[in-house]
Amino acid sequence: MLMTMATAMSLQATILDSVAVDARLGYMVGGTLPTRIGHEIRGINNFDLSLNFAVSAEASYPLNNKWAIHSGLRYETGGMDVDSRVKNYDIEVVRGGESLSGVFVGNVRIKSTQRRITLPVQAAYNLSNSVTLRGGLFMGWLTHRRFWGWAYDGYLREGSPVGPKIEMGVEPGERGDFEFDTSMRIFQWGLDVGADWQFHPRWGLFAELTYGLSGLFKSDFHSVQTLRPMYGTLGILYRIR
Amino acid sequence: MTKIQIQVFLEFVLKNINKVVLNEGFYVILRVKWYFHMAKVTRILFKFKTAMVALAALTLVLNSSCFGDEPANCEADIESATLHVTDPEAVFYQMTDSFKLVMSTDTAIVFVVRGNADVTALSPTFILTPGATIIPASGSTHDFSAGPVSYTVTSQDGRWQRRYTVSVVPTSHEVADTTCYDFEFFELETANQHYYTWHNLLPDGSLGNDWATANEGYRLSMGSAGPMDYPTTPLLEAYDGSGVCLMTRDTGPFGRMANKRLAAGNMFLGTFDVRIAMSDHLHATRFGLPFTSRPDSFTGYYTFEPGDFVQDFYGNPIAGRVDSADVYAVFYRNHDADGNEVVLYGDNVLSSSQIVAVADLGYVEPTTQWKPWNVKFEYREAIDERLLANRGYSLAIVFSSSAAGGSFVGAIGSRLCVDKVRLICTHEE
Repeated sequence: MLMTMATAMSLQATILDSVAVDARLGYMVGGTLPTRIGHEIRGINNFDLSLNFAVSAEASYPLNNKWAIHSGLRYETGGMDVDSRVKNYDIEVVRGGESLSGVFVGNVRIKSTQRRITLPVQAAYNLSNSVTLRGGLFMGWLTHRRFWGWAYDGYLREGSPVGPKIEMGVEPGERGDFEFDTSMRIFQWGLDVGADWQFHPRWGLFAELTYGLSGLFKSDFHSVQTLRPMYGTLGILYRIR
Repeated sequence: MTKIQIQVFLEFVLKNINKVVLNEGFYVILRVKWYFHMAKVTRILFKFKTAMVALAALTLVLNSSCFGDEPANCEADIESATLHVTDPEAVFYQMTDSFKLVMSTDTAIVFVVRGNADVTALSPTFILTPGATIIPASGSTHDFSAGPVSYTVTSQDGRWQRRYTVSVVPTSHEVADTTCYDFEFFELETANQHYYTWHNLLPDGSLGNDWATANEGYRLSMGSAGPMDYPTTPLLEAYDGSGVCLMTRDTGPFGRMANKRLAAGNMFLGTFDVRIAMSDHLHATRFGLPFTSRPDSFTGYYTFEPGDFVQDFYGNPIAGRVDSADVYAVFYRNHDADGNEVVLYGDNVLSSSQIVAVADLGYVEPTTQWKPWNVKFEYREAIDERLLANRGYSLAIVFSSSAAGGSFVGAIGSRLCVDKVRLICTHEE
């Protein structure tokens, strides 16, 4: 009896002792990508994934010498700026209850910024004493979401390809501006893979790649094609214990 | 202090001096290393960004047959129509009458020819959306004396069709003493029934489409508006029967986004080109239609109530300013010295050098009671009778509920109602 209790206590102590906790700071490149490029996208004039950062506190619970469960809380910022040439591109612009839709031929600029809190749940595998590979899923909540842009230097066939032809210029007021902030999903989930390299008892480097399996927009939103969030992070970690 | 103590002290001092010196050196080395390191980090980070963009691009490629074949055109427009004849001077009043640019909203293409022209065997040709096909064929010969001929255009991708009618209308040189516009004939536009359009009664009893409004442009910003919420609406009980009511309207969320916060109610003789309503709105209003009598005076009845406050381009109220309306008629030469067709636009309808005569009511005094106006045309040059007979002059009549509406300045709610408009004409004996 006494033996069992002692074993249990020491086991508990071992469990807590063996949990590794670290703080991370990462340099992040993120954005959203279309799930497919249809024939209607004729070319990319400019494609920019904006520079951002990620901070997190993460913990690993070892199951045995090789395997561990890894989780934590991350705060990340991301964004993108894409300028593409399109033909026969279905667009719908909605604002304040008014909408204008049709088929667009010309250029489309899309910008987005997001900030999110994510919770990863990963299996970690110790490749060696210093290198760990991780893979699993993440759940994310957006705390800030903006998605906007404009259709410009082209024309819209309003309603359908045989509807009125409406030219769009380049300057604000002449072009077709759109804004879809509130149509963005607040909850995201997807794949999350990473690797850690502990080059020092306290310090290490890590790389992380997340790919959203949930679309950027709510399922009833059809103004632009399905876009998925994708973020890459490169950073340093500090082992707290 | 013993000798040993001194030795220990000196050793201590030397050690620490050493340490300080070493630390300084170490600090310098650290700094150099730091700079070197940061440069490396920056390089790594940019490489990382490049790698991510490359990865993103790779994802795109894997996800698609990236930038596949260009999709076939889905539009099915007649972009322009030409009527070639062997003796154009015998058939057309003006050489430019043989060529028509077709607006995307047009489905009826009308060629006006001389009253005695033979229209039994004519072969109009068409420029279509690239890849589209037309039946009957472009250049095929038809008898237009029995009325319009129908054509069907099919898009390159085969999925879309548009139907057009082409008519060739022999038109005699009409000389009327008075041209009347009573606004009795209006209907909801046939395509989607969103707003009203007007027809004028022609001398032969048929209906013409001389009056245009910018209602189609308003529809782009306020698709949810009902027909009576548009800037230009019918007024059932006007001075005499029905009239027309022009009201400056709020253009809603799209208008605010584009800094085009209001739309003046307008009505004019001419055409509205919705194609450039967003990109170049002042040129969307094409003022004027050929007119073959010499206008002498311009009369009618109106009421005008300015809206509560005039707002500027940004929607801010302009203190002390009362909105003003526009009521004028402009008579102008519709070809320039090089023989090119001329129409007047929002930015030159009162300033073009093509203008021959203007009848401008000027200050439109606010009134809730029907008030008559009678303005004489002020001629700047003599009328060329031969040019007049050959449809070489055009007439624009313009009504607007906010005179500065073209600059998106005016008072929402300004209301100009018009009825029983007359053009009293004289002609040489």
